[in-house]
Amino acid sequence: MERRIKEAVRYLGYGRNAADERTLTLIEDAFAELERTAAPKSVCRIFDLDQTEDGRIIIGNMEIRSRSLSRNLKGCTKTVLFGATLGPGVDQLIRRMSLTDMAKAVIHQACAAALLEEYCDEEQLKIGAELEEQELYMRPRFSPGYGDFDIQYQEPLMRMLDCAKTIGLTMTDSCMMTPTKSVTALIGASPIKERCPIAGCEACEKKDCEYRR
Amino acid sequence: MLRERLGKELLYFDGGMGTLLQENGLAPGELPETWNVEHPEVIREIHRRYIEAGSDIILTNTFGANALKFHDESCSLKEIVESAVGHVKAAVREAGAGRQIYTALDVGPTGKLLKPMGDLDFETAYEAFREVMVMGEQAGADLIHIETMSDTYELKAAVLAAKENTSLPVFATAIFDERRKLLTGADVPSVAALLECLRVDALGINCGMGPEQMLPVLDEMLRYSSLPVIVKPNAGLPQQRDGRTCYDVVPEEFARLMKQITEMGASVIGGCCGTTPEHIHAMKELCRGLDPLPVVEKEYTVVSSYGKSVFLGNGAEDSFGSKIIGERINPTGKKRFKQALKEHDLDYILREAITQQDSGAHILDVNVGLPDVDEPALMEEIVQELQSVVNLPLQIDTVDTEAMERALRIYNGKAMVNSVSGKQESMDSVFPLIRKYGGVVIGLTLDEEGIPADADGRIRIAEKIINEAGKYGIRKKDIVIDALAMTISSEPEGAKVTLETLRRLRDEVKVNTVLGVSNISFGLPSRPVINSAFYTMAMMNGLSAGIINPSSEDMMKAWYAYHALMDLDSNCERYISRYSAVSAGTAGTPALGPGTNTPEMGLSAAIEKGLKDDAHTITLRLTEEKAPLDIINEELIPALNRVGDGFEKGTVFLPQLLMSAEAAKSAFAVLKEKMDKSGEVQEKKGTIVIATVKGDIHDIGKNIVKVLLENYSFDVIDLGKDVPPEKIVDTVLERQVPLVGLSALMTTTVVSMEETIRQLREKAPGCLVMVGGAVLNQEYADMIGADFYGRDAMQSVHYAQKVFENKE
Repeated sequence: MERRIKEAVRYLGYGRNAADERTLTLIEDAFAELERTAAPKSVCRIFDLDQTEDGRIIIGNMEIRSRSLSRNLKGCTKTVLFGATLGPGVDQLIRRMSLTDMAKAVIHQACAAALLEEYCDEEQLKIGAELEEQELYMRPRFSPGYGDFDIQYQEPLMRMLDCAKTIGLTMTDSCMMTPTKSVTALIGASPIKERCPIAGCEACEKKDCEYRR
Repeated sequence: MLRERLGKELLYFDGGMGTLLQENGLAPGELPETWNVEHPEVIREIHRRYIEAGSDIILTNTFGANALKFHDESCSLKEIVESAVGHVKAAVREAGAGRQIYTALDVGPTGKLLKPMGDLDFETAYEAFREVMVMGEQAGADLIHIETMSDTYELKAAVLAAKENTSLPVFATAIFDERRKLLTGADVPSVAALLECLRVDALGINCGMGPEQMLPVLDEMLRYSSLPVIVKPNAGLPQQRDGRTCYDVVPEEFARLMKQITEMGASVIGGCCGTTPEHIHAMKELCRGLDPLPVVEKEYTVVSSYGKSVFLGNGAEDSFGSKIIGERINPTGKKRFKQALKEHDLDYILREAITQQDSGAHILDVNVGLPDVDEPALMEEIVQELQSVVNLPLQIDTVDTEAMERALRIYNGKAMVNSVSGKQESMDSVFPLIRKYGGVVIGLTLDEEGIPADADGRIRIAEKIINEAGKYGIRKKDIVIDALAMTISSEPEGAKVTLETLRRLRDEVKVNTVLGVSNISFGLPSRPVINSAFYTMAMMNGLSAGIINPSSEDMMKAWYAYHALMDLDSNCERYISRYSAVSAGTAGTPALGPGTNTPEMGLSAAIEKGLKDDAHTITLRLTEEKAPLDIINEELIPALNRVGDGFEKGTVFLPQLLMSAEAAKSAFAVLKEKMDKSGEVQEKKGTIVIATVKGDIHDIGKNIVKVLLENYSFDVIDLGKDVPPEKIVDTVLERQVPLVGLSALMTTTVVSMEETIRQLREKAPGCLVMVGGAVLNQEYADMIGADFYGRDAMQSVHYAQKVFENKE
């Protein structure tokens, strides 16, 4: 089964159970419709990374304190700021479905999340390939809100990427991204190639999460 | 002066500012506007270099200077704007160019997304723009240049702010991508239509792409714009090099392409990101002596929404044939719709809109006039809500000019307006609104004397309306004449007069036409028979748009057949795709998805399997032999319980639970209609207010809870998302509600959940609160003082049942 479908099934709360045929058909339809509706866009910028003895992470004018991010960036000399969005059409589609069919709405919601992850992975691969030319190797992306990396960093991160202008990604006063199907992240780049970097669920400390892989 | 030169001679803008500031040490994320105060010499020097390079219009360094984007404690917005305008003026003096140089107040976007997609109110955006524009005019700016906009709604807020609060010329440009769309989805004709109808002085394209990639966008812009066109490309597409953003198009190449752009028809040219004084100099050298092509008035009749433009009459490639205006959002003669308006059941109204779009409507008429509702407020609210679920242009249908103005103001696009008549009073009140906000207005062929009985009379009124509109600068292309259909049951010649009027309006007056088609059969039996035949005849006589019910299969058959017959449907493609699945003998309703209806399947099985269409048809059949309440108690509720149990045991999953809920909903709808007819009422178990808290825009979890609660016969008042605590408290008090359900997604919004609970405790102490959402758990819920934490939607149902059982 395609990875994106597996991921959508997981987001829908099936855990390790198999999804039924009708749901699988609806998932496939949802991906087809989302492919038509989504207008994915991404932006990235590479910065030198400075990590001080007392645990501050310095990227350009931005200074961050976060132990989980420090762990993620250990040994890195550069960092990529990354932003991506599926665009506002997807939000409209889900809103519209919430009015006519909630089952389809939640399926579209899950599929959109899976599509966004897939898109980010693809974009990240491209960035990774460029970095490897400079003999730098990427760590898994790390977003504001993960671990103790405060969600408030969303604001300077998006400002440094000029996200509103470049990809139409903005945030609300409470740091929620609009369009909602969007990602911002930091990606560390290190001269040391680590085997099989831990990513996603496996890196998360919330072990009792029902969506854990 | 500038207005006189515009479009008659080639005018040169300056180039990039940000790129040059970065060269001077501006850090990523640093606010460039602070440099007006901190490094004034750098800013003046850049302006001076552009003047020397040949720029006629210099942009102030105020791109991000608005209260929503610019937050800096060391200097105020006013200081920034005043110093920025001052720097251009000083540079003009220093350069001593010997020609007129204009200072353009540069106005960029707020960096926030407007509602309904984001959290910014239209009027808040307007206010932020107004503030800097007034400062800019006072400081001595010669024009306002609104640029790099990627949302038509924000563009409209900015242009209105400029037009209403300053007397300066207004330029406006937007940022398109390679799909020739804005980031929020608008196409080129809809942007052109919007800016033109708001009466800017020049419009165009900037940023996003290099000159080469802009050519297709420009080509389209020139095809639709009746105003001078501005082009300000980047120096190519941005490239990342050594952690820096670079642009690759060199001055000579840039100049060559800008000359081509001028020859295509642009009349105000300059550069955006990555362009330098060298680019501008090379461009001016190469374009010297060129005269811009004359700006030609285009004759398209176009209405638009935030993401779509719809053409009426002949003109654009897709415009041939007749457009469908959906008539269903209108309480006239519709009991259920009236009830929805009175109960403020917006979901019902929104679903009507979605159904019409899915049935093939191109434009939706919106009428919410009822004697006992606050029409202006409701109209404004419904237009905003509609804009969040359908991307079709709307037709504002009201006789209340306040409702009309409020709707036109917050409408995201160029609306259709229904209507003005030949009465002087009507024209005096409607035309000023069309002049100000733009729009395509329907002119009814009636006046103080009533409705003329013959075509001559109606044509005369049409001409009167067109002439009077001309006095306001409203052009014929923005008027659509309603030839008026009078029922043939009382006016035997009614149809003949209407058809003659249509034909003559098309051939003699050369104006677009519209008709409320179904009026023709009023008072007759089997109205669709007459309506659909008349509809075909009307289209044959030039009807540009029919106001019809797109869910009526008879009308749609007429529409599809007419377009196929008249060679308005290339290779009969639309016809074939709609009707090929229907067998010849039963050319009735087209296939609407799989019907798995087996005769032996019972209602509870259909619900458990989540078969929505089957649940509907089986219920219809069941009601012939069984009382609705028995069906609910014997079939519906047990089936829902079994599915709910399965969900809690982990054998049924969320999508299946919701498919069953939707199937039950479609069965309930049948039963409700039946019960309404017989006057029977199903006891509601109780009323619950649900809301996603202030600051939070993720409401899918709340919507899931809503569907399930409704299944279990609770009366749910859904206040939506981003709901202020006060509104929740007020609703609870006003409706005497004993239970509130709140959802929040993130830690940043749990704060407002806590605040909501605090206010509820204070003002409505008896009311219980259940909470849910991704970030919550029992501990967190206890901490903020909730009465119950629902891990999933079924748990909220159980809790609600418990609460209301205890009440009884």
